[in-house]
Amino acid sequence: MKFSYVVTIAMSTSVCVGGIAHSADPTADTITDAQKAAIQKTIQTCGVCHGVNGRSVAPTFPNLAAQQAPYIELQLKAFKDQSRADPDAQAYMWGMASQLSDANISALASYFAAQPAAPGRGGNSALIAQGKHLFEEGVPARQIPPCATCHGAHAAGLAVFPRLAGQHAPYLLKQLLVIQSVLRTAPVMHGVIKDLTKDQMQAVVAYLESI
Amino acid sequence: MTRMRQIWSSTSLLQWLGFGLCVSVTTPGWAVPSFARQTGMACAACHTVFPELTPFGREFKLNGYVLDNIKQVTGIDTSAHQTLALNSVPPISLMAQISYTHTGAALPDSALNGALAKDGDLLFPQQVSFFYAGKIADGLGAFIQLTYDGVGDSFGFDNTDIRYAHHWSFGGSNDNSHTMIVGVTLNNNPTVQDVWNTTPAWGVPYSNSSVAPSAITSTKIDSGAGGFGQSVGGLGVYLWLDDHFYAEITDYTSAIRGGAHPLDSTQSNVVSGSAPYWRVAYEQRWERNSLSVGAFGLSANLHPGLQGAINTALAGVTDRFRDTAADVQYQFIGEDHLFTFLGTYISEHQTLNASVLDGFAANTDNNLKTLKLTGEYYYQRRIGGTIGYFSTTGGSDPLLYAPAPVTGSANSKPDINGYLLEVNYLPWLNTKLQAQYVGYQKFNGQSTNYDGSGRNASDNNTMYLLVWLNF
Repeated sequence: MKFSYVVTIAMSTSVCVGGIAHSADPTADTITDAQKAAIQKTIQTCGVCHGVNGRSVAPTFPNLAAQQAPYIELQLKAFKDQSRADPDAQAYMWGMASQLSDANISALASYFAAQPAAPGRGGNSALIAQGKHLFEEGVPARQIPPCATCHGAHAAGLAVFPRLAGQHAPYLLKQLLVIQSVLRTAPVMHGVIKDLTKDQMQAVVAYLESI
Repeated sequence: MTRMRQIWSSTSLLQWLGFGLCVSVTTPGWAVPSFARQTGMACAACHTVFPELTPFGREFKLNGYVLDNIKQVTGIDTSAHQTLALNSVPPISLMAQISYTHTGAALPDSALNGALAKDGDLLFPQQVSFFYAGKIADGLGAFIQLTYDGVGDSFGFDNTDIRYAHHWSFGGSNDNSHTMIVGVTLNNNPTVQDVWNTTPAWGVPYSNSSVAPSAITSTKIDSGAGGFGQSVGGLGVYLWLDDHFYAEITDYTSAIRGGAHPLDSTQSNVVSGSAPYWRVAYEQRWERNSLSVGAFGLSANLHPGLQGAINTALAGVTDRFRDTAADVQYQFIGEDHLFTFLGTYISEHQTLNASVLDGFAANTDNNLKTLKLTGEYYYQRRIGGTIGYFSTTGGSDPLLYAPAPVTGSANSKPDINGYLLEVNYLPWLNTKLQAQYVGYQKFNGQSTNYDGSGRNASDNNTMYLLVWLNF
């Protein structure tokens, strides 16, 4: 049982806080007090679901802590222009991202990327071991390459390839499913996971959640 | 039963006393697409299945209904302080309910002795409501409902909650940080401002028949429009700390619409001074689960005022109602499966000095105890159902609970208990098709011949079909 992280709840203003600076640090001296406050409020709004520290409680919402900033930016822009259209994207993020300025997107991405990563959580050790093997070796017989090729040996991600380590397993599983069914567009991934079975998905996400 | 607008349908003294059984009109609503329009988020963000709130929905409400993701009309003064932040599109929506009610046995004709009313009643509509629900200014939001009532053929002010919320966070963004919301609510129905579905204004059943017989009495806080709902105004302050702890105190006084103003002896059940309402709750969230436990209560001194054809001055001794309640709510919100458990226990102690003096009640001290237990399940928010148990028990009082056809009590007791079964199908998130069955084991005191006119509790068993649209 994982108890609630402190989740800040400041839906007291719009997420539309245009004009904020490209800064990860709301306390930086180069921005005005108003801009600091606007950034902080936007972070707090995101924090309602994702946690102000980027570590969410409910697995519907992904951890953002230590996520790759370019990946966060890419996704927020995809929500904003509605090119990412999986069910939860439509239900939650189309609205939330609709009024974000590019500067705001950059600031949010930098902020969450700078937060300490969520720790791994253990689970079924046999499943985790199977997932680790799949992550590191892929499934050569079915032309499924190792996930580590793009996501890194420790699943920390790189640029637009997202960090997967410590992510909620149910969230990752859902993403694999919606990418495989092309509800979520992810061109590279469509080819990589087209033959991945659900059992294999469950193994690899159990591993990723554990590290 | 909850949220019932009591409509006095008989001229018997008992019924005019305000304790008699009445035909009831529900005043649901509350899951309003104007919030979706304002936030750009689907209903599922804030509701498991409307009107039940998710943890995010609770946060949205506690923050003052102000989260917006649409273009704003803004203004600033020369000091760069914001003077206006208004949705460019007003958050307005409409709700329509069309229902059909069939009771176990037909009800007596309202004009002809010995005749029966039509067995089965279609209300087209049962209710239509207009809402302004959303942001007014930065931190300030409103939920305002105007309702056309198909039974009363009337249009009027309904549930309203206007609130201002301010958020603080302190301790940085690390694990030692804390958050706090302090809000002010101005509302017209005790518990309409609450964010859990265990309190009466938003409790189960979320909709029920407005023409089937309902209990001879209920606790003040659970009487909805038959009690304080839309007939009081209250100003309160609340605290929401670290997404866990909630505390609120709101003070109400009478704000009766229509009739004589300033209020006088021609009005009924007028609050003497003010009626404080209090609420505490603790919520824990983990993974896909949330569990809350809480308590709430209301204390009110009332002048009986007009009872039947008797006017009593709004002065002197009063009737005192002291309600104390405990509640628990559990939610599991999975990708496919959603479970909710709701439990509420209300104890009311009545000290009826005024009613005894005026001959409206026999006992000075009366009490009521209400228990409601509800389980809900939905599959993919599309199809699901509800199983519920409810009971109210209380002491006997031959004046408060006198015999009368359908509405009265032969043994002078208010006891009622029964069950609720419900199947709901939502082809879209904002559309609910409902089949509900309410069965009574005991009604107004007993199972058989409960009213002294030969009617049994099971004769009031009710099949209720509903089309509920929000758009």
